[in-house]
This record gives sequence, structure tokens and C-alpha cells, in this order.
Amino acid sequence: MDPGIIGQSLARIEGPLKVTGTAAYTSDHTKERVAYAVPVGSTIANGRIAALNISKAREMPGIVEIYHRGNVGALYKPSPEAGAIDEARPPFADDVIRYYGQYVALVVAETFEDATAAASVVDVVYADVAAPNVELQLVADDEPAEVSRRGDPEAAYDASPIKIDRTYITPAETHNPIELHASLATYDDDGFTLYETTQAIVNHRNVVSEILNVPRENVRIVMKFLGSGFGGKLWPWSHGTLAAAAARNLGRPVKLVVTRKQMFQTVGHRARTQQRVRMSAQRNGSLTSLRHEAVNDAGMLDEYDENCGEATPHFYGTSNLLVTGGQTRRNIGSPTAMRGPGAVPGLFATESAYDELAIELGLDPVQLRLQNEPTRDQSLDVPFSSRHYAECLTVGAEKFGWSLRSPAIGSMRKDGSILGWGMSGCSWLAARFAAEARVELHADGSARVAIGTQDIGTGTYTVLAQLVAETTGIPIGRITVELGDTRLPPGPTSGGSMVTASVIPAVLEAARAAMKSAIGLATTLERQPFKGWSPEDLNFQSGKIVARNGASGKQIDYHEVLQNASVAMVSGGGKAASTFGEEHPKRSSHSYGAHFLEIAWQPEIARLRVNRVVTVIDAGRIVNPRAALNQIEGAVVMGVGMALLEEAHYDPRTGAPINSNLADYIVATNADTPRMDVTFLDYPDTKLNELGARGVGEIGLAGMASAIASAVYHATGVRVRTLPIDIEKLL
Amino acid sequence: MKIAVTVNGERYERDVEPRTLLAYFLREDLGLTGTHVGCDSSSCGCCVVAMDGDRAVKSCTMFAVQADGHEITTVEGLEQGGKLHPLQQAFWDQHGLQCGYCTPGMLMTSYVLLKHQPAPNEAEIREAIAGNLCRCTGYQNIVKAIQQASTELAAEPAAAAVGS
Repeated sequence: MDPGIIGQSLARIEGPLKVTGTAAYTSDHTKERVAYAVPVGSTIANGRIAALNISKAREMPGIVEIYHRGNVGALYKPSPEAGAIDEARPPFADDVIRYYGQYVALVVAETFEDATAAASVVDVVYADVAAPNVELQLVADDEPAEVSRRGDPEAAYDASPIKIDRTYITPAETHNPIELHASLATYDDDGFTLYETTQAIVNHRNVVSEILNVPRENVRIVMKFLGSGFGGKLWPWSHGTLAAAAARNLGRPVKLVVTRKQMFQTVGHRARTQQRVRMSAQRNGSLTSLRHEAVNDAGMLDEYDENCGEATPHFYGTSNLLVTGGQTRRNIGSPTAMRGPGAVPGLFATESAYDELAIELGLDPVQLRLQNEPTRDQSLDVPFSSRHYAECLTVGAEKFGWSLRSPAIGSMRKDGSILGWGMSGCSWLAARFAAEARVELHADGSARVAIGTQDIGTGTYTVLAQLVAETTGIPIGRITVELGDTRLPPGPTSGGSMVTASVIPAVLEAARAAMKSAIGLATTLERQPFKGWSPEDLNFQSGKIVARNGASGKQIDYHEVLQNASVAMVSGGGKAASTFGEEHPKRSSHSYGAHFLEIAWQPEIARLRVNRVVTVIDAGRIVNPRAALNQIEGAVVMGVGMALLEEAHYDPRTGAPINSNLADYIVATNADTPRMDVTFLDYPDTKLNELGARGVGEIGLAGMASAIASAVYHATGVRVRTLPIDIEKLL
Repeated sequence: MKIAVTVNGERYERDVEPRTLLAYFLREDLGLTGTHVGCDSSSCGCCVVAMDGDRAVKSCTMFAVQADGHEITTVEGLEQGGKLHPLQQAFWDQHGLQCGYCTPGMLMTSYVLLKHQPAPNEAEIREAIAGNLCRCTGYQNIVKAIQQASTELAAEPAAAAVGS
């Protein structure tokens, strides 16, 4: 290996395409004879379609076809083994309306404008219209599932001198990637080629082939650039099915772009959660019990478990613990994973509770955390692969100046504002998905790495090039990265912050196999330095084949070997198994971190803002520090939005998400951005992969809302347990 | 309606429907898909193009016919002679992008900003891009990129003007 490329802050290799407008996102693709589809959504959330009057729409200019239950053709539910999908009911499967915006028809026309105009005059007659159930109080429909239990938390709680019992609520949030969901579907003798906004091309192919009832081999998914997803584009949604069905029925390409408004209705959101946290402690701060009982809302037909207790069992040292999760059905579109699913809303609750417990105890919240740091994962009874949470806390406290905090409420002031200082820990899982990869070394001195994964904006193109450059010594500028196509070897889903960790073993193995192939070739060439050598005596270094002992001084560029052998390329494959969801893992693998932050509260004008944030992250080895920093900074700013701004509101009369646009659903803008100081601890987690890299996509969001809530309490004395912390809650 | 629009220095005469938005005219009629559409409420800013070189307009909230007789510069028009515009280079250098979807709008808003204010301070930069949402980066590197470009353009002012 040629050390040096891993750990470098390389600019993104795809950067020039993105700054020139030539990176082709899904809706940028087009085809000859493409038709445009616009779905019609229901305007009730609970009832049934009595009639669909499409005669007026049919007479509109440019209409190609209007699809509905009666003519869309066969669509099937995918089998549970096919893969992941949150809304398994195929579109138009029955006449029942279960949420606002549920697709009831699809207008296909010659232009986008024609389709939009006609869709607006499709007349849906509803029957049995009932008030939608969008009740905000969440009580599990069935007995909640026990996720983790140890000891006797009930008895320990009752016997403890210090206890708290609090309920925390996180609202429905929408992902709102700036790129709209889109599909461009084509269908011909070879089957379907579907350009999709997806974070998981392989899963998409496997699931959609069953929905369309065609062999897997007859579905190709292409996604070269994704305008972000944040989980919302992980699994297939009904618009993609409709575009494919229309393309199939018409025998011509169909493009469908979901509107921003529809994105609040039909492509998932972070589930609303209600979480009861009970904690007890000895007077010295030793945590004696923790119960974390969560309920999330879900669509009427689908199981969606937010898994709020994702981090709870391993994050805290206590002998007595209970984590449960329950669901309750609502007339809403199915929730789905959103950045840091489970842990992000879960840690808002448990980290807020920890802060409240520290106040009950009269202890510093950092001290309380350090005091209860576990030495092994007590839930799985296995060691941690690499855990440096305590160092995150101490380094963060030092960098922030936490020792200068005066704990009394409202006691810190500056420039006419009341300052609040808060902190929180964070954690996110570390694991690998299965991955295969192919690396080619070409006779012109270039290399190509091919893997059926995605770059959703996180920097996967660049990371893949770095891995090949590091292994082969071929300069980064001579490496081509091919991803985003199911014709390539199947790669990992871009979810769970797992891509980097997942691709490392497969890509390294593939590169080494290709290098070995080049070495083998070198030993066969007449009149060449290594003719007749044993491959074991040769090495591949910095793009050259050299003698292992170095003594002979002989060397040859690998591409010369290829040229002399008249071969265009040598290549190798690599494959690594999944570690995600192992039933009996040998170790507990997670990333850790801590946020320390300052808010300023001006009660006279009810202005609340986050001034500065110090974040320390323990995510193993960092492959590209600038790209990783960018992930954390982006997540911190998203955390400001989660804490202070973001909530999707459902109208209790119609069930419609009423703030379904980017003017009324407020995300953090650059004006909300705090000063940020991010530090990565550098402890390679080599149990997870050879380089010791974990992932950084999600962890930066975890813990932000609790740190802000704690800081707000410190400034105002108001403990906000229901997000977002809008100023009305402070007045 | 017949319109004549100059886009990135090239004159186009087209017959368009009055309802066609400028963004779709650029994307669908002219094939210039660098201009993105992220909403339809003028909120996200990823459709921003420059009109007559000195106005940043949201092309999803303007009809194509309103561009009749005007000069439009899109992200595709920034690169000159195979060389990235200093803003493009700076967004690349400074990691001012992740997914890149908001980037064309950010670039065009910044392009117009630097025409009016060649040396904006951080607060002025943040105010200028207040109408452009980025859900990935946390904005820090976007601000740094605009600062880098501003410094570079001050050194070589000729690079500031394109498409005219």
C-alpha cells in the first residue's frame, strides 16, 4: 500500500461536473419520445373513491393517457424477502384512501405543462369520508415490543433516591432534499431501465422487479448523481412504480417529477415520536436504572418502527434497563428513515433526560456522563470494538471552555443577550453492508473501479478513488469511478452511514487481485525483467512491479507490462459480507461524539439563535477529512433546524400536511448557521475494516436537539420537551 | 408566442406557450439541465439564473416569455474557454458543495452578487444567498468559496464578465 492518499482532504473528483451543470441528476436525463406524467393525489385522508371523472381531463391538449385503478395493469406487492419498501401497497391497488395525497390517478401527456393542467381537472368523487386520524397524542395500538431489558429496572427505580420521569416528543419532519424525487422509466424488449432518485439501486431493482412481476435481470436502475436524500430516497415509492407502469403500458419513456408539495405527502417523513424516559440514580450520580419507552406513528397499512432506543442499551452504563418500542396508526403517508433514524429522536429524549437528571443531582452534565461510562456493551455483553466517548466529552469541554459555565439559570449574559450553554452526547451505529467491487488496471496507466453503490452527495466517488489510489499507487487523476448502475457489481445501500466502511474490504480486495494479475503477467513476458520469477517474489508499488526484496533494483511500470503483453487490462473482483444486523455480534461497534454549544436568548424581541457549536466525533479513521467535516457541519446545521424550526403539521380536518412547501416548512438557512468547530478523534476501528473507517453521515445530527434544549433551559429556565423549540414555548 | 432569448451568448428564437416557465424552457426546450428545479414557490433558489448579467432571477417563478429580448446566463455559461470561472473553481476547491443540486443556483446568485459587490464581507455574502437553500453543507464552505472567488476576481477583473 502507498500510504498518504487516505486521510487527505482531496477536493471531490466529481466537483467539475457539479459546478458546470453537467452532472446529470435523475430528472436531467431525457429520452426520445419521452412523455410526462403527473400524479393526481387525493384531497381527503380517510374514505374511498366513489368515482373518477376523467372525461374533462381527457379532452385537454396533449393527453396521452390517464391511468387509474381500472387501466394501470398488474402491479404486485413485493415479497418480504425482496428488500426494503415502506409503502408496500402498490399504487391504485384499491379504492380506499388512507392518507392525504395518496395517488388516485396518473396523467400522462406530451409536455409537463399539459400533464399538470389536465391533472388539475381530474375530478375525484369521494364516499364514506371520515375525519382523519392525525391525533398527536401517541398510544401504541398493540403491546409495545421489548427491545432490550436487563436487571430489574422497576425495582431499582423504586428503590433509588433520585429519579425523573419525563415524556419527550419529536414531530413529523420531512427530509426535503433540494432535489425533487423523480423517475424516468423506459421499457423495451430488454425490460425496464429506470432512472431513479434512489439511495439504494440494488434494493430498488430487487423490489421493483417484483412489483412489476418481471425477472430481476430485466430491470436496470441508473442513478449517477443524487441531489441528496437524507433517508427519504432509500426505498422505492409509489411514483416510481407508476412511471414504470406507464412506460410499460405505453411503450414509450415516461418522466415523472414529484412536486415539493407531494414530497410532504407520499415519500415518507421522520415519524412523530412520543418517548417516556425514566431514570434513577444514587445521590453520587451512579445511574441505577433507565427505562426508555417510545411510540411512533405509522401509516395505516405498513409497519414502521422508528427504533428510538437504537443507542440506549449500549450508551449508558446501568445494570437495570428497559427499552420498548410501539406503533400507532394514523391517516398519514408511511414514515421512513430520516438521517439518524431512531437514534436522533431517541437521543433527544435520553440526552435531555440525562441533563435533567444532572440538574436533579446537582452534578455537571459532563461529569455525570463520564461517571456512568460503561466498559463494555452491557446489552449484548460484548466488548466495544472502539469507544472513545469519554475523550469526546473531555476534548469538547476543553475546546468549548465548559469549565467557565455558571450553572444557574440565566446567569450568563453577553451583549444584551442571555446565554445558555448546553451539551449532549451522540452515538450512531457502525456496520458494513455486503459489497462487491471490480477494479481494472488499464494499459494506458489508468484504473477504473466499478461498484453498484451510490454517491448521494457524501463523497463516495472521491472515497472510492482514494481507496484505489492508496492501494495501487496510481494517481487519483487517472482513476475513473463507476457507480450508480445495477449492471455493476452489487454495492451497498447509501444509508446508515455505512458506505465507506462497506466498500473498503471489497475495493481493496479487488484492487489487490488486479495487481496480482499484473504481477502474474510480468513473470510470463519474454525479454522482460521478471520473466520466470515467482509472483511471490514480486510486489506492486506505486504503479510499478518491483522485486520484493528490493535487492535486484529491477522494476517495471505495470502498464508497460500490459502493453508488452498486448492486453488492454487486468482486473480483479472483491467481495465482503455484511455485518449489519448480526444476531450474535462479537463486538459492539458504534461511533460516538459530543456537542457543546451556546445559544443566545433575547427575551425583549423573542430572538433565539445558536451562536457557536463545538463538536468532537469519534468515527474511526477519517478517509477524507474535508468531506467528513462537511458532513458534520451540515448535520449540525440540520440539527439547529430540527431543534428550533422543523415540524410538518397535519390539518386535523383534512389530514393534509399544511405547511407543505419550503416557505412554511422552515429549514435552517445560512442566516441560522452558528460558528462551528469540529474535531475528529483519530482511532481507527480496525475490527470493522482494514482501514478502521466507520461513517460520518448521520452522527452529527444526533444529540444536537438535546444540546440546544439543554442550553435553552440554562438560559431561560424553560425545559422544552416537545420539539421544535419555537419561541412561543419560551414566552 | 414567439420569443428571442440570448442564453449564454447564443440567440434562440422559439415558439413557446405563455404558461411555460423559464426554468422548463431552459431545461426542456434548450436542454440546459444545469438549471435545477427544487420547488415551485420561489423558496429554494436552485433555479437561479442571471438576467442581463446583473439580476439574479428565480427561473421557476418567471415565464419564458418574460425573458423575451433579454440575455440569460446559466451555470453552463460560466466556464470560458475551457477554464472554470473563479466561482466554480472556488466552490470545488472549498468543498462548497456536497450533492451539488443547489450549486448552480448558489453560483448564479454569487455571480450577480460579485458583479454588484466585488468585495462583500461575510454578512453581505450570507444576506445575498439568503434565498438559496442548501440542505447538505451547513453553508460554511459556500461562504468561504464566495470569499475565495471574490479575492481571485479582484486580482483578475476580466474574468468577472461572461456571456456578454
